[in-house]
Amino acid sequence: MINDFNYLKPGSVKEAFEMYAEHDDCKVICGGQSLLIVMRQGMVAPEYLLDIKGLDELRYIKYDEKDGLRIGATTTHREIEKSPVIQEKYPVLALMENKLASIQTRNWGTIGGNLAHADPAGDPAPVLIALNANIKVGGINGERTMPLEDFFKDYFETALEKGELVLEVHVPVPPPKTAVVYQKFNLLDSDMGIVAVAASITLNGDDTCKDARIVLGNAAPIPKRVKNAEDLLKDKKFDEKLFEEAGKISYEESEPVADIHASEEHRRHLLSVLTKRMIKKAWEQARAVA
Amino acid sequence: MSTEIKELKYSTFKTNVKYSVINTKVHNVDGIAKVTGRAQYTFDIKLPGMLYGKILRSPHPHARIINIDTSRAMELPGVKAVVTGKDTLGIKQGIWRRYEELCDEQILPLEKVRYIGEPVAAVAAVTEEIAEKALDLIDVEYEVLPAVFEPLDAIKKDAPVIHEGVERNVNVTRHIEWGDVDEAFAEAEKNGGYIREDWFRCSGQHHMCMETRAAVSSYTPEGKLTVWASTQSAYYTQALLAGVLGMREGDVRVIATYVGGGFGGKFELDAAMFCSAVLSKKLCKPVKIVFTREEDLVATKRRTPMYYYVRTAMSRDGQLLARESRMFSNGGAYTGMGATALYLSGFFHSFPYKWKAYRYDGYRVYTNTMPSTSMRGFGAPQAMFCSEQQIEWMCADLGLDPYEVRRKNAHTECYEVPGQAFIQSCGMTECIDKIEEWVKSKGDLGPNRAIGISSCGFMSGGIFNWFDSPYSFSSAVVTINNDGTVELHVGCQDIGQGSNTTMAIIAAETLGVKIEDIKGHSGDTDHCPADLGAWGSRQTLMAGNAVKMACEDAKKQLLEFAYAEMGLNIVYDLDIKDRWVHVIARPERGMKYEDLVKKAIRAKDGQRIVGRGYYTPHRKGMISPAYSYMMQAVDAEVDPETGKIKIHEIMTAHDCGQPINPLGLVGQLEGAASMALGYAYLEDLPMDEGKLLNPNLVDYKVIRAPEMPKTGMIDIETYEAEGPYGAKEAGEGLTNPTAAALGNAIFHALGIQMKELPLTPERILKALREKKEKEANK
Repeated sequence: MINDFNYLKPGSVKEAFEMYAEHDDCKVICGGQSLLIVMRQGMVAPEYLLDIKGLDELRYIKYDEKDGLRIGATTTHREIEKSPVIQEKYPVLALMENKLASIQTRNWGTIGGNLAHADPAGDPAPVLIALNANIKVGGINGERTMPLEDFFKDYFETALEKGELVLEVHVPVPPPKTAVVYQKFNLLDSDMGIVAVAASITLNGDDTCKDARIVLGNAAPIPKRVKNAEDLLKDKKFDEKLFEEAGKISYEESEPVADIHASEEHRRHLLSVLTKRMIKKAWEQARAVA
Repeated sequence: MSTEIKELKYSTFKTNVKYSVINTKVHNVDGIAKVTGRAQYTFDIKLPGMLYGKILRSPHPHARIINIDTSRAMELPGVKAVVTGKDTLGIKQGIWRRYEELCDEQILPLEKVRYIGEPVAAVAAVTEEIAEKALDLIDVEYEVLPAVFEPLDAIKKDAPVIHEGVERNVNVTRHIEWGDVDEAFAEAEKNGGYIREDWFRCSGQHHMCMETRAAVSSYTPEGKLTVWASTQSAYYTQALLAGVLGMREGDVRVIATYVGGGFGGKFELDAAMFCSAVLSKKLCKPVKIVFTREEDLVATKRRTPMYYYVRTAMSRDGQLLARESRMFSNGGAYTGMGATALYLSGFFHSFPYKWKAYRYDGYRVYTNTMPSTSMRGFGAPQAMFCSEQQIEWMCADLGLDPYEVRRKNAHTECYEVPGQAFIQSCGMTECIDKIEEWVKSKGDLGPNRAIGISSCGFMSGGIFNWFDSPYSFSSAVVTINNDGTVELHVGCQDIGQGSNTTMAIIAAETLGVKIEDIKGHSGDTDHCPADLGAWGSRQTLMAGNAVKMACEDAKKQLLEFAYAEMGLNIVYDLDIKDRWVHVIARPERGMKYEDLVKKAIRAKDGQRIVGRGYYTPHRKGMISPAYSYMMQAVDAEVDPETGKIKIHEIMTAHDCGQPINPLGLVGQLEGAASMALGYAYLEDLPMDEGKLLNPNLVDYKVIRAPEMPKTGMIDIETYEAEGPYGAKEAGEGLTNPTAAALGNAIFHALGIQMKELPLTPERILKALREKKEKEANK
């Protein structure tokens, strides 16, 4: 049963900052798809809940050909999934959102809430890190921006300081000849991933690899980049043996935890298979883009 | 010496009668009330002055209760009562009432707890929150005892004793045998037959009803108790509650108008019913207890996990010669319905084949885990997983056509399973023919993909009376009002499967009226006749026969009057169809049903027309009055790198006799497919030292809409002489073949033999690795 709490509903971002600064033992709720589960299990029992979901100032999807994509924190998963500009410019984001839980959850859950919850099995983080995204956070003392990769610190822990909220995600314009793909492994469609892999491949004019970003989901306390695998690919030509090698690096460098859904060994194995497959898929797609 | 197989040479006939209501697509008679939220489930019941109850549960798998101190909890404002075993009569109860030693469960035990989650105390308070808080204030002193969790450990000589005096923790044994098994194996060996043996492990499964266990009990100073309960049998609940409370059955009224699912898990007495009744009796106030999903998962009962050893002899040309099987089931802490599952698993393990020699030894073993019980299929899904895979492997080993082998050995109509059962209608051979045709029409499916098949059958209700009911198994009363509307009172229980609709169809067909003329009344022991309830796929046949008989009785009274009224020659027959009373030979000659009813009631001195019907099976063997048959094909693809399964399609050729409601039948088919597929590759109840590791719907995976494959059914028409209008069961049997068929699909797709459920990616990859190693060593 969920313990009683005091409910705070700010009317503006400014008021949210003030309320958050004023109240100790306060949790931010922005949809509640993650928070309410742990509250119901009694793992979290805050005295105050600060509900920022109604803050329409933070509910936007903006795209500019130079600046890239900016998504406000209270934008829902469903809005991202259904956004025509995201479907056109960042299809991997829309596809990822399409498999993020149920439609009911996507209609209510928000991108800011998802990232701030910092569940290592969360879907958006690996994709956004592969897309080289930044995150803007802020509080009563001002705003700051950091690479999303640096935002995650540990299981359910982020770089957010006391009194800070997630405000915006910024995704730069991808370099030419770049493709980003994502796949999670699960037994139920749209369920949380047992493990997941996002891969971004950028090709040179001669179809050799210019840059690669490979991010593992649910393979470590935080979304994990496999830089050794990325380096392995650079300047190389399309080579399935090479992709298998990269997969082996994921196998070795990941730190998955066993639970009832899969053993550690099985998770490592799945990460190696998905790494191999995602590199190949991204490479093939990158060839096709201008 | 082998037993003579009796085969009578007469044929079950198919009628050419045109029905008006039967086999038409009738929407659920409760459908509108349910989808508009008017239907009141136990969860929705709210009474004046009602209190809320919560249950304190054992954290230990096995412990002696030294002391329970409830004083701190009683001091909490808002708490009205706290009860423990000492506030009860301490009666050991069980649903196998005829057998005292199997009545082994005290809900709120006095001496020991035997599984994690077992109730030890219950609180009633003015709010649910206060009741929950009070649980933390109950101090229980335990002496923790050594515990055992697996049947193969619990049966060992030095294992902890779970129930005093029960040697080696063996709760029940079941022996089924016919023919000379040893001689048949010896002969098979001598003649160069093929003998194969395998071990299998079948997992448990949670019933996962949409409505968790719930009860509202209201005891009044007049000494009467009314209980709204989520139950599969209002009558069982009434009788069991009366027993443990020391009341007369007639002083206990159980109401179960709407029930959100049962699947075999809700016809025993549960802690919601018992604790709310004990609390209400103490306070003379209504008390409501609704289990949380976690409580439902942790502390109710589950599908029986089974270890199966199977040894089978087959001749080189595919004749099944002999089988001997041993089964050890994880009984958990108490008997429940497990004793029946033990028997039925062993019986259906022989299905649907004509074994000349067959032996089954089943051992149900107590462990310190949540009890196991019946669940849709009643032990047969486990039995088929082992049997149908082994037969498929033997066919492959011998290079035989698996369809031909199954056809050669299949049950046929009017066959006697020696000493066990007499089978009248049977469409097994036709099921095999149709599925073979369908599979062959699919052609080549590409790599890592194949279709697996499994045949099976199931009972249409059990011929068992371990409950020791003095009443007919099913009863019905039909009353015709002056305006022609019909009150149908049945004891059979609608738990979402649509029995109210099935009974209304049978009543409308028999009386010759429209479905909307029937007002059904069920789920209330004060107003409906006793009936054993919804289990063992029994209601369509048993309650259906009772309803048909009641309606024939009422109709006969009407037609007697019509005969006189119309002044007919004695050679003419009368009938009623679509509210038209007419001469069968000359349908245009007749009168309106409504007019006839008015006249008949006047002629009866103003009495409404009342018909009675009842049914108890007689001279139908030991198991069931009739059997459904089917063959199922599962088209599945496996990713050999990740082990992930994709189910493309499920096709079932199905003999359920005469279908009563095609819409209900499709509902059963699809529901069974999702439940049985979940059992096959997804659902499991992993435990660590008796503690369930996935007591929530995040970690306990059930199939949802996106995973649901396309399903189809080929109806095999037979007529079952014992069933109403030729009908047989269609409820549980459809869960039986799926795990085996999926296992066989994986076998043909990847060449691996899966002996453990569920068929997880990890197990598939392990089997693939072992296969590779084996090939490398060759």
